[in-house]
Amino acid sequence: MKSKRVFFIVLLITAALLYISFFGLHLGSLNLKGADEMRFGIDIRGGVEATYTPKDLGRAPTSDELESAKSIIETRMDAANITDREVTIDSTNGSVIVRFPWKSDEEDFDPQKAISELGQTALLTFKDPDGNVVLEGSDVKKSYASVSQEDGSYVVVLELTDTGSTKFAEATGNLVGKPISIYMDDTEISAPTVKEQISGGIATIDNQKSLAAAKDLAAKINSGSLPFSMVANDANIITPTLGSSALDTMVLAGKIAFALVCLFMLFYYRIPGLVACIALTLQVVGQLLALSIPQFTLTLPGIAGVILSIGLGVDANVIVSERIKEELNSGKTLASSIDAGFHRAFSSVFDGNITVSIVSIVLMILGSGSMLSFGYTLLCGVLLNFVCGVTASRLMIRSLSGFKFLQKSYLYGARRIAE
Amino acid sequence: MKVIHFFKHRYIYFAISLCIILGGIAAALINGITLDIQFQGGTILKYTYVGAIDSQEAGSLVQTALGKTTNANEQTTVAKDEQMLIISLADNESITSQEQETVTSTLTKAYPDSQLALAESLSVQPYTGARFFKNGMLAIFLSFALILCYVGYRFRKIGGFSAGCMAIIALFHDAFVVTATFIIFKIPLNDSFVAAVMTVIGFSINDTIVIYDRIRENKTVMGSKTSTEELVDTSITQSMSRSINTTVAVFVSITIVYIFAQIYNIGSIKDFALPMMFGTVTGCYSTICIAGPLWTMWKNHEAKGAGKKA
Repeated sequence: MKSKRVFFIVLLITAALLYISFFGLHLGSLNLKGADEMRFGIDIRGGVEATYTPKDLGRAPTSDELESAKSIIETRMDAANITDREVTIDSTNGSVIVRFPWKSDEEDFDPQKAISELGQTALLTFKDPDGNVVLEGSDVKKSYASVSQEDGSYVVVLELTDTGSTKFAEATGNLVGKPISIYMDDTEISAPTVKEQISGGIATIDNQKSLAAAKDLAAKINSGSLPFSMVANDANIITPTLGSSALDTMVLAGKIAFALVCLFMLFYYRIPGLVACIALTLQVVGQLLALSIPQFTLTLPGIAGVILSIGLGVDANVIVSERIKEELNSGKTLASSIDAGFHRAFSSVFDGNITVSIVSIVLMILGSGSMLSFGYTLLCGVLLNFVCGVTASRLMIRSLSGFKFLQKSYLYGARRIAE
Repeated sequence: MKVIHFFKHRYIYFAISLCIILGGIAAALINGITLDIQFQGGTILKYTYVGAIDSQEAGSLVQTALGKTTNANEQTTVAKDEQMLIISLADNESITSQEQETVTSTLTKAYPDSQLALAESLSVQPYTGARFFKNGMLAIFLSFALILCYVGYRFRKIGGFSAGCMAIIALFHDAFVVTATFIIFKIPLNDSFVAAVMTVIGFSINDTIVIYDRIRENKTVMGSKTSTEELVDTSITQSMSRSINTTVAVFVSITIVYIFAQIYNIGSIKDFALPMMFGTVTGCYSTICIAGPLWTMWKNHEAKGAGKKA
């Protein structure tokens, strides 16, 4: 009787995934992140979210300008050692969105000041080894990434203004063989060595590791001539104490609610109820992994999506259990009742789940931020519902029904089991 | 199994729903509908503090410093024994982070002994808020349209379009009940609102589809001679224990979440869970008492029309 083992295999897989979802899996190059490394939105963990738009700019910013603005913000965040962050460009609305968590150990961190400082105009300077400024950001007309004509390596090209050309020709004339350091605010972003005097108003910085690195440096250099500063009119700050206690409380509430649902299922549906509990655990675990592995940011509306999909999971299991009971009461054998029950329940679970996934896809396409998070968790939940609520449940019930001592009508909540 | 006669008592259910809807409208007229600053734009700053602060005075200090009309009031949380000073700007104005710094420095200078600390701040431009609101509404209506198409196709055996329309009416009913909860409990409409409406819509449509699925199945089992009334009543009765069990499980879960959020005063969860509690109940109710009977009426009307023609 091979099929008897199936239940324990599913149980084992569930337990293994449960472990991974809590602690992650780190085997050589395989690095799956668990719940302990999950990304939480600022509404849960506390943090800062700010949308920067150009200040007093009468037109929409160009995409190059937004790239530069983004690179300014990123360089400053690097300098402030804020590495866990999201900086995204919203080109349709001409804004740069910044999100970062506020660690609870940073007590003297001033988020309001940080938001203001990130948006200020960048001060870009070129300095000689003695620290004298030889060129300023406004002397650079534009900068872009390119490929060297000679050896095909990636380079950054700087086009200088007329005054810039004169200043740079003089400086490079004196500094052949020495480095010129480029600073944004107080951060050194590059320190190329002068090979020869540059007088044509076109300078190149060679030896860029990749096209991305060249583009990044070009955007940073362009920031010096960015004609505007950025202000954050849309901003949200939540202290970590407020955020983390909300998370702890909700996790506790979730555990209690889950335990009660399991007790109810066990009490009411017996064996199908037990199977439902395992299937639901598998679904929740899958949902945690779907969030933590791709490092999707979980926000409060995301939790709402999780709640809804667990509700749908409960529903799928309830429908199946009720159907099996009905089939048993109508006088069928256990094996055929289980098959008929799943078969009949499938169409309603299928149509229900597809409809809900339509809603979640609409939300993912149209929504940003909170609606996107809700749509993503809901869609994952609905897909998992097929795997857990239908397939895994069926495998487990079929397997358990193979055990003689479990073939009792009261274990299925039915009045009788036909032989 | 004894079939419950839902159709016979349909006018009672319609009357109940009508009362709820009218109640919601009355509440909207009395309380007014408040959009939270996430939709409307504006600024709110929350500070924790110890000791005593006269919020009126604090408000006028900030007003002088910023040159913008400001409201201030206090709030205390039961569980954490914390006092909060809430500063909000009138006229839905959003302020820059520089201006926020001014608010903080003004207050800390005025009350040096109160250990004022920023707990939360939110600033939204009216333009951004309106866009967010518009997107939310668009998402809801687009989902409705797609649901109608899907149900229309999948349930063509029982007259998909009519079934789809009734499902949508039930969804509007539920969305309205959720909105009414927000209005009656004076919760400003914010992104919890969008999440709650979407969640309830998800539950409700799933519920309606489970019943339709049963009707579709019974149509084959019971034969074409059975009246629509009997078909629908039987189907609903057969699914009754499933409807109740699922609703109870979800309702209890949401209630636990709500109780915790209430004790620990987690605003965003509270604003979501309370309307959800009503939403799960109405999601089940609207399917059984609204969508089912209404669809039966439509079908009966169709049959009558066909009879007259013949």
